[in-house]
Amino acid sequence: MVPVSPDKPLLDELRSIIGDRARAGDFELGLYGKDGSVLEGRPSIVCLPVSTEEVQQIVGACRRHERPFIARGSGTGLAGGAVPVGDPVVIATAKMNKIIEVDLDNRVAWVEPGVLNLDLTTQLKPLGFHFAPDPSSQQVCSIGGNVATNSGGPHCLAYGVTSSHVAAIEVVLPDGTVTLLGDLTPEPAGYDLRGLFIGSEGTMGIATKIAVRLTQNPPEVRTLLLDFSDVRDGAAAVSAIIAEGLIPAALEMMDHRAIEVVEAFVNAGYPTEADAVLLVELDGLAGGVASGVEIVRRVADAHRVGNVRVAADDAERALLWKGRKNAFGAVARIKPDYYLHDTVVPRGKLVEVLEKVYRIADEYDLIAINVFHAGDGNLHPILAYDAREPGVLERVHAAGKAIITASIEAGGVLSGEHGIGLEKRDYMGMLFSEHDMTTQDLVREAFDPDGFANPLKVLPSGSRCSDSFGQHVPEGAWV
Amino acid sequence: MKKVAVKLGIDSEDLASCVACGLCLPHCPTYRVTQEESASPRGRIALMRQAETTGLIDQEFVEFMDACVQCRGCETACPAGVPFGSMMETTREALAEQTRYQPLWRRWGYRILGCPKILTLGSKVLAVLQKLNLLPSKLALPKIPLLQGRLVPSGRDVWLFTGCVMDAWMRDTHRAVQRVIEAAGAGVRFPDKQAACCGALHVHAGLGHEARRLAERTMEAFPGQAPILVDSAGCGAQLKEYGRLLDSAAAHEFSQRVLDVHEWLVNHLDALPPAHADAPRIAIQDPCHLRHVQQSHDPVRVVLARYVEPVILDDEGLCCGAGGAYSMLHADTAAAVRERKIGSIERAQVQEVVSANPGCLLHLRAGGVTVRHPLEIVDDLMRKDT
Repeated sequence: MVPVSPDKPLLDELRSIIGDRARAGDFELGLYGKDGSVLEGRPSIVCLPVSTEEVQQIVGACRRHERPFIARGSGTGLAGGAVPVGDPVVIATAKMNKIIEVDLDNRVAWVEPGVLNLDLTTQLKPLGFHFAPDPSSQQVCSIGGNVATNSGGPHCLAYGVTSSHVAAIEVVLPDGTVTLLGDLTPEPAGYDLRGLFIGSEGTMGIATKIAVRLTQNPPEVRTLLLDFSDVRDGAAAVSAIIAEGLIPAALEMMDHRAIEVVEAFVNAGYPTEADAVLLVELDGLAGGVASGVEIVRRVADAHRVGNVRVAADDAERALLWKGRKNAFGAVARIKPDYYLHDTVVPRGKLVEVLEKVYRIADEYDLIAINVFHAGDGNLHPILAYDAREPGVLERVHAAGKAIITASIEAGGVLSGEHGIGLEKRDYMGMLFSEHDMTTQDLVREAFDPDGFANPLKVLPSGSRCSDSFGQHVPEGAWV
Repeated sequence: MKKVAVKLGIDSEDLASCVACGLCLPHCPTYRVTQEESASPRGRIALMRQAETTGLIDQEFVEFMDACVQCRGCETACPAGVPFGSMMETTREALAEQTRYQPLWRRWGYRILGCPKILTLGSKVLAVLQKLNLLPSKLALPKIPLLQGRLVPSGRDVWLFTGCVMDAWMRDTHRAVQRVIEAAGAGVRFPDKQAACCGALHVHAGLGHEARRLAERTMEAFPGQAPILVDSAGCGAQLKEYGRLLDSAAAHEFSQRVLDVHEWLVNHLDALPPAHADAPRIAIQDPCHLRHVQQSHDPVRVVLARYVEPVILDDEGLCCGAGGAYSMLHADTAAAVRERKIGSIERAQVQEVVSANPGCLLHLRAGGVTVRHPLEIVDDLMRKDT
C-alpha cells in the first residue's frame, strides 16, 4: 500500500492553482534540492508558476498550510541560498522568462525574473544597450537570482553591482500581497526598500517583475592579457593600476592552475607557463581607452610583466572572456568537486592574503585555485577535492574557515557577490556583533514576521525566535 | 510510482565529473523550451546519479531520459568536458535491455532501417498514398519520391556513404553531392546493400546490440583504403564513432577513413569552377552531429563561402529539434525547439537556409523553412555558367 503523503492536501491545492506544474515526483524533487553549491536539501513540492498571480496564490496556499517556501531562479547560486531546508515548497521562476517591455525613454526594461542575464543583453544589443552586471554564470543565471544575491561580475568594478542597475521591483511579499518597491523617477521618495530587497536572498519575498536599468554599449573596448612569472607581481600590479587613477571596466586575475584548466577548455592561447595572468578591460571613448592602455602597459612593465597581449578583435576578446567565465566549471578537470569562497579584502592586502590562501591549502593537503575579481579585491579561492575521498570534507571546511578568518583579519568581509545563503550563515558572527544581527533580523521580520520566506538562511538560527521551522540541516552542510 | 531495479552501469568517474555549475542549461534545446531541471543535461546527470545510487527507477525516470534529443550541445558548452552523450547512450541501452523502454513496435521500426528492400517498398507505398492524398497531413512527411533511379559510380577515388532513409527519400541529394565531388576531380563509388544503415538511430534508442550488428555489416561494405565521404552529419558522426562502439583495431581504422564530405572538399576547392559575382545570402544551420559531435562545422562555411555569402545564425548552434526519430516520437517538443530555430533564421534575413543533415532538412521543411543540403546549392551555382 502506498502511504498517503502528509503533503497531499497542500499538493491538491497547488494543483488546483497551477495544474501539473506542481510537482512531487520522487526523482524530480531531487533535482530541486541543489543549486551550484555543495549543499543539498530536498523540497516537499516544486511549483513552476508562469505569472505574478500564480506566485501570489502559491504563497497564499503555503501560508494556509503553514509551509515555508523558497524562490529559485536558474539554480546556479554558490552559497546554498536556493537549497531547500525545513521541507519547503520550491517556487521556481524559470518559466517566467519574458522581456515585457523595453522603455528607452526611461532607459529601463521590465523583465520577468526568469529571464537569463545574457539573453537580456543579447536582445538589447541591436539597440546599443546591455545589462551591466555580468557574473561568470551570466549565460545561465537569471535576473531574479541576480536581484536575490545582488550579483556582481567582472564589470561591476566600473559599473557597480545589481543594486545600481535595478530601478523597481514588483514583489510578492511573504504575506501574499503584491507591491512595487522603488519606481522609475530619478529620485524616489521614502526609504529605499528596493535597495533593501536586493540581496535579501529570498527572505523578504519573491520578485515577479523587475525594471532593470539599461547601460549604453561603450564605443570603444580594449582587452589586454598580461602574464607574470610571479603571482605576487600580478597582485601588486592590480593595486598599482588603480593607484594611477585608472578604473578599468574589469580587472581579473587567474593563477597558474586556473590558466591550465581554462586553456584546456577554450584553447584561447592563455600562457600555461605563466604564474598568473591579469585580464584587463578598458572601455569608453577612443582617446581615453588609448591612454588607459598606455598606463596599464607602463604599470605592468614596472611589475616585471612578461607578455602583453591586446585582443585584436571582438572574436578574440570573446574567447578570452569565455575562458575566464568558464573557469569554475573547468576546475572539474583537476578534481570532481570544488568549494568556492567569495571573500573580499582591501586591494592593498591582496598579495598577503593570497599567500595565506596557498599556505592554508598546503596545510590541509588541498589544491587551491585562484580566479578572481582582483580590481575590487573580491577573492574567489577554489578548493578542489574529490568528495569520495574519506574525511576530505572536514579538511575542506576547516581550510575554508581558515581562509575566511584570514580575509576578515585583513580587514575584509565574508562575501563579495555570491551571498550568505546557508553556507556562510554561521560565519556572520565573525563579522557582526549580536546587536548588529538582531537589528538585521528585525528588518527581516518587518517583511516576514512568521519566517515563511526562505527560512534558516542568511542570519544564524536562534539569533531571534523567528526560526520556527526547526533545525533541519541538510547533509553536506557545514553550519 | 512503481519502482523497478535497474543497473545503468555508467562509469563512476564520468558521473562524478559534473559539478552541476549549470553552464549547459542554455545550450540544451529541451531546457530552452521547458525551463525545467528534468529537461536539462545537469538534471539528467543528477537523475542518473539517483538511479545508480538507489538501483531503482520508475516511469518518471524513463520519461525524463527519453525526452533528451541527444544533440550533445551540452558537451560543447561543458567546461569540465563531461561525456554526456556516452552516459545517455549507456543509460538508454540499460533501459532497453532491462525494462520495456523500447516496445516491440519501436524495435521493429528501427529494424526496418537496416532492411533496404522493405524500406524501399514501404517508401513506395507511402509515395503512392501521398499522391492519392491518403496520408494525414499531421504526419508532416516530406514529399517521398516514387521512382529514383540508380546511383551510377564514376571511379574508385572515394566512397560516398548512402544510408537508409536518406537514400530512400533523398537520393537526388546524393546525386548533387556526387557531381560536386566529381567536379573537384575525384571518381565516386557506392557501397552495396551491406551498408544499409549506419546504426545511429539504434544507438540513440539504446539498441546497442542492433547498432553493433549494423556497424560490423557496414564496415565490410567499404574495402580498401579510399576515404569514406558522408553527406549526412548524423551518419558521419556515427561512422566516426565505430572505433568507440566496437573497440576493435579494424573499427578504429575504419573510423579514421571517415570524413564529412565538406572536410574532404576544403582540400579540393581549387578544382571547383569559379564563383559568380552575385552571391546569395544563405544561412547555415549547423547540424548538431556536425558541430557538437564531429566538431567539424567550419568546412561547410569554407566550402559555401566560395559561392555564397554565408550567414551564421545567432543561436550558437542550438539544436533544431530533429534528432533522428525524436521529431516523430516527441513531436510537440521538437516543434517548440524548431520555433526557436525559425526565429533565429528570420532574424538572419536570408534567401535560403542550408543544413548538412537529412533529419534537420526534413524537420525544418516540415516547419515551412526553405532549406537544402549545402552541396545542392553549390551544385546549382557551379553549373550555372557551364
